[in-house]
Amino acid sequence: MKTFLIFLFAAIGTYLIRISGIVIFGKDRQLPPRVARALQLVGPAAMAAIIANSLLLDEGSWRAFGAWHLAALVAVGVALWKRSSGWTMASGAVAFAALLLAGL
Amino acid sequence: MLGIGPRQWSDAWAGLKAIGPLMPGSVLFGLAFGALVRVAGIDPFTGSFASISVVAGASQIAIVEAIRTDAPAVIAVITALVINARFALYSAALAPVFAAFPRRWKLGLAHLMTDQAAVVSLQHADRYPDPVRRRWFIVGGALPFVAVWVAGSVAGIALGPVIPDAWQIGFIVPLMFLAVMVPGLRDAPGVTAVAVSVLVVVLAKDLPWGLNVLAGALAGIAVGSFVPARKPRGEVPDDGLAHDAGGGE
Repeated sequence: MKTFLIFLFAAIGTYLIRISGIVIFGKDRQLPPRVARALQLVGPAAMAAIIANSLLLDEGSWRAFGAWHLAALVAVGVALWKRSSGWTMASGAVAFAALLLAGL
Repeated sequence: MLGIGPRQWSDAWAGLKAIGPLMPGSVLFGLAFGALVRVAGIDPFTGSFASISVVAGASQIAIVEAIRTDAPAVIAVITALVINARFALYSAALAPVFAAFPRRWKLGLAHLMTDQAAVVSLQHADRYPDPVRRRWFIVGGALPFVAVWVAGSVAGIALGPVIPDAWQIGFIVPLMFLAVMVPGLRDAPGVTAVAVSVLVVVLAKDLPWGLNVLAGALAGIAVGSFVPARKPRGEVPDDGLAHDAGGGE
């Protein structure tokens, strides 16, 4: 029940965020530039936080160096080279599977 | 949904074709979320409800992680809403695109505005100056996109218990976000936000309830917004994420 309520409140809050601009702003009103710039950084900053927490840490402690780090390095390298999400996913998954099979 | 004419169907079909290449990523992300739901011991109904009601994968995964660390409910909700604050940017940008729509269309379409649907809608809006044709184009892409996201989630929830522990499915979380974030990372404010965020997350690792994630995200946004950007903003707001084929939610 608690979990359901967490998702319910997150859903209500997210919907309010999604309608905020559509309802408040008309044709000509715009977000203040300062606010718009901060919002542009939400995606990268939030994703980086989730990546760091799930990759470098494991339930609050440092994750032992191994397949996770190496496969992530492969994925980052491919991401910077190809600039493509599909290639990044595929290369990271293949590298991770290969490392697990190799016993890392 | 009565009285849908051939013109509306064809506009909706055009919307579907525009967003189609992004759908596999949405399915994959849904599968990952669904599998994690079962790993965290969340019941299938609640997991499916999350994908239908929140419709934002990154925040849903953050909630699952918060639940796994026994975080207070308030912390879990706030973390999710911080992650979803980016939708305010799309919403403001979409205001002129939706301006001529009836109120019930505005309120309904708003719920379907994923990162991908918002970007596609903004990119194609000028080709549909007629508001009726425009809204059918938008719903034609946005609704099926959410449908495949939900279908992927439900499939992941069903398959979750079958996936062996040895596969370490949890790796999909950093991998998925690396795939969405890194290809779109180019300008100095974005790189700064990422670096600060990672640093704060690991330095604050001893904070309880996953608060280090919230602290990292907020610190990254705050510090990054002081770094001057070179390029001026275009018509479509750049959320700093990749939206090519195979990208996640």
